[in-house]
Amino acid sequence: MTPEAANPVASLEEQARIIRTHVIRMVARHGQGYVQQGLGAADLFTALYFHEMRLDESDPEWVERDRLIMSTSHNSALFHATLAQRGLIPVDDLATYCVDGSRLEINTSERLGPLVEATCGSLGQGLSVAVGMALSARRRQLPSRFYVVLGDGELQEGQVWEAAFTAAHWGLANLCLIVDDNNMQVEGSSRDVSGMTSPGDQFAAFGWNALDIDGNDMTALLAAFDGAREVKDKPTVINARTLVGKGVDFLEGQLSHNLILPPDAAERALAYLEA
Amino acid sequence: MASSGNSKDLHLDDFTVDRNAGPVPKYYGAALIELAAERDDIVCLTADLTPGTETDLFRDRFPDRFVLTGIAEANMVGAASGMARMGDTPFVHSFCVFLTRRVYDQVAMQVAYPRTNVKLVGFLPGLATLLGVSHQAIDDIALMRALPNMTVIEPCGPAQMAAAARAAADHEGPVYLRLQRASQALAPGTELLDLDITRAQLFREGSDVVLFASGLMVDKALAAADELAADSIDAAVVNVHTIKPIDADTVCRLARECGAVVTAENHSIIGGLGDAVSHALEEHNVHVAMTRVGVSDTFAEGASTPYLLNKYGLDVEHVVAAAKKAYKLGARTS
Repeated sequence: MTPEAANPVASLEEQARIIRTHVIRMVARHGQGYVQQGLGAADLFTALYFHEMRLDESDPEWVERDRLIMSTSHNSALFHATLAQRGLIPVDDLATYCVDGSRLEINTSERLGPLVEATCGSLGQGLSVAVGMALSARRRQLPSRFYVVLGDGELQEGQVWEAAFTAAHWGLANLCLIVDDNNMQVEGSSRDVSGMTSPGDQFAAFGWNALDIDGNDMTALLAAFDGAREVKDKPTVINARTLVGKGVDFLEGQLSHNLILPPDAAERALAYLEA
Repeated sequence: MASSGNSKDLHLDDFTVDRNAGPVPKYYGAALIELAAERDDIVCLTADLTPGTETDLFRDRFPDRFVLTGIAEANMVGAASGMARMGDTPFVHSFCVFLTRRVYDQVAMQVAYPRTNVKLVGFLPGLATLLGVSHQAIDDIALMRALPNMTVIEPCGPAQMAAAARAAADHEGPVYLRLQRASQALAPGTELLDLDITRAQLFREGSDVVLFASGLMVDKALAAADELAADSIDAAVVNVHTIKPIDADTVCRLARECGAVVTAENHSIIGGLGDAVSHALEEHNVHVAMTRVGVSDTFAEGASTPYLLNKYGLDVEHVVAAAKKAYKLGARTS
């Protein structure tokens, strides 16, 4: 059910590039938005939706599907763009992103339908939901895997650690957390705000299998997901270090939670991505 | 220092039972395992309060469906919503304060908004605990009422506990169940009460004033009605076991018939039964005299329940006084 290609990494990198152009166009219509996070995590979302997760395009409610709980629901331009590129929602719908009345909201919500497995937005809740799902799936002997994306800033929410100890204590090997570690939050650098330098180590201390990778390296992402699946007795966290603005030279590394994106900048970004 | 007895004698599960009362049946706990025997989708979560929420019965009978989450209520609510999304029907247990005030955002976003089939089952309602302000849920009904999609049920006592649990299980969607553990066994032969969430129950007919009560205040209202009868005031008593959605038909009909209304609740007078009744009357253009019995916009303190109910104005005498006041106001305006 996943698109195959002769060279999967090159094919995935091309999908990520196209998704980045969607993100730019979606945000450019409004002149500002979550650009940096979207560009930064595009490789991660591509790896999940085009390679790792088991989905059925014809039946989004397939009970044995893998599930992604997107706790960073504000990274919505990227999320919607990925779904559209994957054929799960119409590409034309991306033009309605953040338009009044649209189901493509700035914080992804269940108004979009079953592709949104939980409405987050209020940070810190997504891992708990996934823990419950994973626990229930294990009792029901479902083969589904449960992926959660948290931001590194989000790790400052206490509920994350409540969920972390239960996931490890219950040995939820069907759970895979990805920390989109872009070192950015509203106030700037997450490292400066929290002093947490190595999120994976924190989870390892709670009993998780912890991996630390370059989240913009497609080969590393695929290997990490493979590795997570091999662990049978504990949950895995993949600390994916991502570069905000990745793929557009003049945006890379610019810490901006809500980026101003005037038309000329959007054009330059698109030109760069399409060169 | 020498111990006065062996360690078993010194062990008590929690503060929610009277250690002098002897064994008291776990009416809720028994009802829950009866439901779970019928339905394998029912799962049970508790946050370090298994005995105090009577879920030790579930733990022992259905260990594979019992989840001890640790002292971490926010995660418990989130996990329950995840389980519900996989097809389970989670019954989530703690004290009332910790399932409402402490985890309001989690309940709002993971239970109420998505209408996950989660049943939040709280114990220690209102002033019915000696554990003090941290444990006294005086605002839980207000909080839960304010959430879209939430149903709020408070049975009037042990005789209605099983029906309340069943009503919660049968209702598709979020429920807040507010329970008080029995302090003693029901008298032999006591008839168990049913509970239809669409219908408030008229426990006593009357024509001069109607007392709408919930939870432990239902018994107080019945006792008050006896006293009022001695003063030739004929009081109706209604058990409003479901506070949201409130049975507006019954509320408005009896309010019109009697011309005077009292609400009595073990909760703040802000946002609870009193406001629910008042809102129903207002929406249906019923204008009658009304007084409220409840916690008067104040925090309380740690002390025995009888002491607190008296000190904070929730005793029989307060219901009687409120009824007389409403009756007089009603007579003046009619």
